[in-house]
Amino acid sequence: MALTITCPVCGKRNGYEFKFGGEEKGPRPEEKDLTPKAWCDYVHMNQCVAGVQKEWWFHKDGCGSWFTIYRDTTTNLEKEAGLANHQEADKS
Amino acid sequence: MKEIQRISPVEFKTSPLKTEKRNNWEVVMEYSGEGGGPYLVDLSHKPRFDLQDAGLAARKPFGIGIPETFGSSVLENGILVNRMNRTQVSLYCLTGQDNTGLPDEPGFTDVTESTIFIALIGKEVFSICEKLTALDFMNPERKTPFLYQGPFSHVPCQIVTLSRDKETSGILLTCSRGYGRDMIHAVLHAGEEFSLKPAGENRFTSWIKNL
Repeated sequence: MALTITCPVCGKRNGYEFKFGGEEKGPRPEEKDLTPKAWCDYVHMNQCVAGVQKEWWFHKDGCGSWFTIYRDTTTNLEKEAGLANHQEADKS
Repeated sequence: MKEIQRISPVEFKTSPLKTEKRNNWEVVMEYSGEGGGPYLVDLSHKPRFDLQDAGLAARKPFGIGIPETFGSSVLENGILVNRMNRTQVSLYCLTGQDNTGLPDEPGFTDVTESTIFIALIGKEVFSICEKLTALDFMNPERKTPFLYQGPFSHVPCQIVTLSRDKETSGILLTCSRGYGRDMIHAVLHAGEEFSLKPAGENRFTSWIKNL
């Protein structure tokens, strides 16, 4: 099934309207005492979860918003935030 | 040159029958062979503004209240106000003498000359749109007028559906000025089987009066 993504401004739309922005990795690390390795890991290393992950998307053909969604990478289906949190908790 | 010239990014191959000089724009009022509809009308000379403010609830551009829901629009006194997101609103001045100036308040940007502005009106309009975009104009959850920000012929556009009544259906579309020639080509090509023809501003004026 084709990917659909729910934009917080425009609602549910075709996935082709969006650009993938990478995994959600939490806030940018503090610059104080930041080692090159830690910074490199933050920028380049990914979890590559086989399952539900939180990720960034950009609505390039629509409203131009950046936002996060939960997506199951094994089915390529978007998950509702509440349901996704529950599934993530089950795994850990 | 003593006077500035404002050139519409939209050009039709059909020859104009009646034109009018307005605010340095050459406005075509009527084209030859307009047929019985649907019509494609160039409205790029109509003043358009963007308003950006973190506190939109307190703003009343041209005395009109801004809709609260994203994607909602309101048409009042010939001015269409479209809520884009939390902080932005687009405004289209659809009627009058097209001399509405930039309001003397903070937050406004004049986008008239940076975008194209066209109207697709008449029967079969949505059959034409269906060939160019996956956006659902017939969504029963949306009440006219409403705004879509999405791809039309693969170009990011703002599209406002003003009417979904069979004979008087109509949408307004704006996108970046640079897409003008190709957008018109795509729309006319898609509308060929429905007898879509370029029409002058007179068609739009009488259509919007009947809304």
